[in-house]
Amino acid sequence: MSFEIFLMDGYGVYVWSSFGFTFLVCLFLYIRTKKTLKKLEKDFIKEAQNLPEEQFKDIRKQKIAKEILISHSRS
Amino acid sequence: MIKFLNPSYVFKLSGKLLNLFKAFLLPIVVVGLIFSLFLSPEDYIQGDTVRIMYIHVPSAWISLLSFAAISFFCILNFLFKLKNVTLIYKSLAPIGLTFNIIAIVTGSIWGQPTWGTWWAWDARLTSMLVLMFFYITFIFSYKFINNPDRSIKACTLISVLGLINLIIIKYSVEWWSTLHQPSSISLTRETTVHFSMLIPLGLMLFALIMYVAVIFLMKYRIETIRIKRKGIRKL
Repeated sequence: MSFEIFLMDGYGVYVWSSFGFTFLVCLFLYIRTKKTLKKLEKDFIKEAQNLPEEQFKDIRKQKIAKEILISHSRS
Repeated sequence: MIKFLNPSYVFKLSGKLLNLFKAFLLPIVVVGLIFSLFLSPEDYIQGDTVRIMYIHVPSAWISLLSFAAISFFCILNFLFKLKNVTLIYKSLAPIGLTFNIIAIVTGSIWGQPTWGTWWAWDARLTSMLVLMFFYITFIFSYKFINNPDRSIKACTLISVLGLINLIIIKYSVEWWSTLHQPSSISLTRETTVHFSMLIPLGLMLFALIMYVAVIFLMKYRIETIRIKRKGIRKL
């Protein structure tokens, strides 16, 4: 593969920096969002488990809480 | 239709959709990048710099559409007080801001070889910068105003004012003499972009929409879990 494809007649620096910037910003947002989601799921489960037995049972019956437990156990 | 207003149904659905979109995201991004960086032709005037269009234009569209959607949901929430709607606009705003910044930065990088300057205070560029401030103010108003009623009012006011700015952005290239070119793609007029360039543009738009969907669903789940955690703490 010719190196010319990457140089793009001298415009490569503009094209690659645009794509690179977009890639980095998108990657940062993805990683940050995923990390926050995992942390919140973990904290939610921890706080639910710290509740008295009866209340924990009640929470486990709730659909959203059940979904969080399933989603967290999968990951 | 009513089940879409049920938070537990929407939360469960968001998990399924998230897995589906995640599976498709990477292949679509790779195909889009191959087309836009290597397979699409160069422009007869701009040369290879035209490739920046494949990320700049979809990013600008996404940032504009996100704000329009935010305004719609804010007005809906203001009128009918729907809890789910609050989660939707809170999840959309950071995504819209991100793509607004991407559009401004890539536009600036594109401007240097095309116009000979990184920035000009012309109507299109300035109104896009104003949109960024609208996004920031909007995010601040739901993050830092603790009273829910006041927060909803502030968000609605900002989003309605932002709507006026969206109209200015759209027509800025027609109302004023700007460095920025008029839009080449229109729903009402014939498009002036060649088919060979429309393919990578469409692919990159699709890839970025898929990415937006993934982030949106993750953020939606984050906001829902935050509300659930508050419920646990009250017990």
